[in-house]
Amino acid sequence: MIDVHRLTKRYGSRTAVDDLSFTVRPGRVTGFLGPNGAGKSTTIRMLLALTTPSSGSAAVNGRPYRRLHTPLREVGAVLDAAGAHGGRTAFRHLCWLAASNGLPRRRATEVLERTGLTSVAGRRVSGFSLGMRQRLGIAAALLGDPPTLIFDEPVNGLDPEGVRWIRSLMRALAAEGRTVLVSSHLISEMALTADHLLVIGAGRLLADDGIVRLTRGHASLEAAYFALTASTTQHRSDADWAAEGRTP
Amino acid sequence: MPPALRGALAAEWIKLWSVRSTWLALSFALLSGVGLGLIDTVSVVRSWDTLPPADRAAFDAAGSAFSGLPLAQLAFGVLGVLVVAGEYATGSIIPTLTAVPRRGLVYLAKAAVLAGTTLVFGETLAFGTFWLGQAVLAGHDLDADLGDPGILRAVSSAGLYLSVIAMIGFGLGALARQPAVGVAALFALVFLAYGVGRALEGWSYLPSRLTLSNAGDVVGQVHATAAKPRLPSLRLAYLTLAMYVTLALGGGGWRTARDA
Repeated sequence: MIDVHRLTKRYGSRTAVDDLSFTVRPGRVTGFLGPNGAGKSTTIRMLLALTTPSSGSAAVNGRPYRRLHTPLREVGAVLDAAGAHGGRTAFRHLCWLAASNGLPRRRATEVLERTGLTSVAGRRVSGFSLGMRQRLGIAAALLGDPPTLIFDEPVNGLDPEGVRWIRSLMRALAAEGRTVLVSSHLISEMALTADHLLVIGAGRLLADDGIVRLTRGHASLEAAYFALTASTTQHRSDADWAAEGRTP
Repeated sequence: MPPALRGALAAEWIKLWSVRSTWLALSFALLSGVGLGLIDTVSVVRSWDTLPPADRAAFDAAGSAFSGLPLAQLAFGVLGVLVVAGEYATGSIIPTLTAVPRRGLVYLAKAAVLAGTTLVFGETLAFGTFWLGQAVLAGHDLDADLGDPGILRAVSSAGLYLSVIAMIGFGLGALARQPAVGVAALFALVFLAYGVGRALEGWSYLPSRLTLSNAGDVVGQVHATAAKPRLPSLRLAYLTLAMYVTLALGGGGWRTARDA
């Protein structure tokens, strides 16, 4: 369960995330959709206490991330391919993560197995392909068997097989009753993966609804998406005018 | 020990020993520290009979064994920089902070693991070098004993100094978040500052007395060389080291608390 309440992040005069509120529920895949620069990654970084919000709050399983004692048991996060020191082996990478949260070392072996990395466990991460790195990131996220999982653009740069693997993994995790939030700018991918969508544009929430209801009255999810984002560009500039105390 | 701290320490311990740079830096430090000290000691012994009396009087049985220390200190300092700046450079700071979201705790655990490790290795290097040097000197009755006045302090302080340099590198690395910038800053502080101090000696000896390298020389020697005005007193030398560590760790801690 993820609760975001009036979350705002400003960088100087630019507002990356603007008064965002939503709840992500367990048992389904929730897509976090929006164009590049809409504030998806900033929101996810604030959820994980990597970025400090200007105002508002975010809670995972009822508590701010920074107050979780063993966060890997609560939330698994896969962030944009970054993550492992190239000089370390995949196994050691998972070992230190496990140790940090008091998880037994056998968990490292188990998640390597689940992500199909057992045969390369002893290899340095610098020699990994993008797909293998992505799998290692997912292995790290699954380490603490967390009830909540967050994926930030998980299919970027993956081949079709990798894309399908991640999609079925996310669906399986949701079917197990976990909370799954996945950000993407790929509408077609979201149409295949998500049950529920949060659409954001320019840092604001544009829609929070099931895929079926969002698409109703439109030719496709893509058509619905563009209808939504078009209306907010206007909405956004109105807000800017208001913030400056003028009328458009 | 609180479980969060225990976990953070265990994680940092595994991280430290699971990359090659740690092994490389410490092996280089041990080899260069012991090797150069030995070479220097042997050369002093070989030329002893032809040395001018002034040089003989100034001979420091502990100091000569430590002539490899400048190279060893570099390796320790670079290790300190890499331990933290390497995390930012490779992006592994993200999993580090998601696994341990309290940044102060991450910083504390990293610093504690590095301080403990470098202290053990620094002292091993210092005492190892000292005893090897003494074995060479013993043949010529020039050797000192750990029980002699000041010897134990000088040898253990030489080891401590290596750990101090590692911690200064660590603070600079946390402040810079980029290995190259951190290492450059470390070089500037350890080597270039010495030249700057020398340049200013026409006006004042104080800058020279406050340089890291002079403080390191003084704490690692037995004769506090009062004859050289650029060298600080023993007390000032220890104070200077403490000041550098405090500033570097404080600066690094300040930056670590800010968003990555």
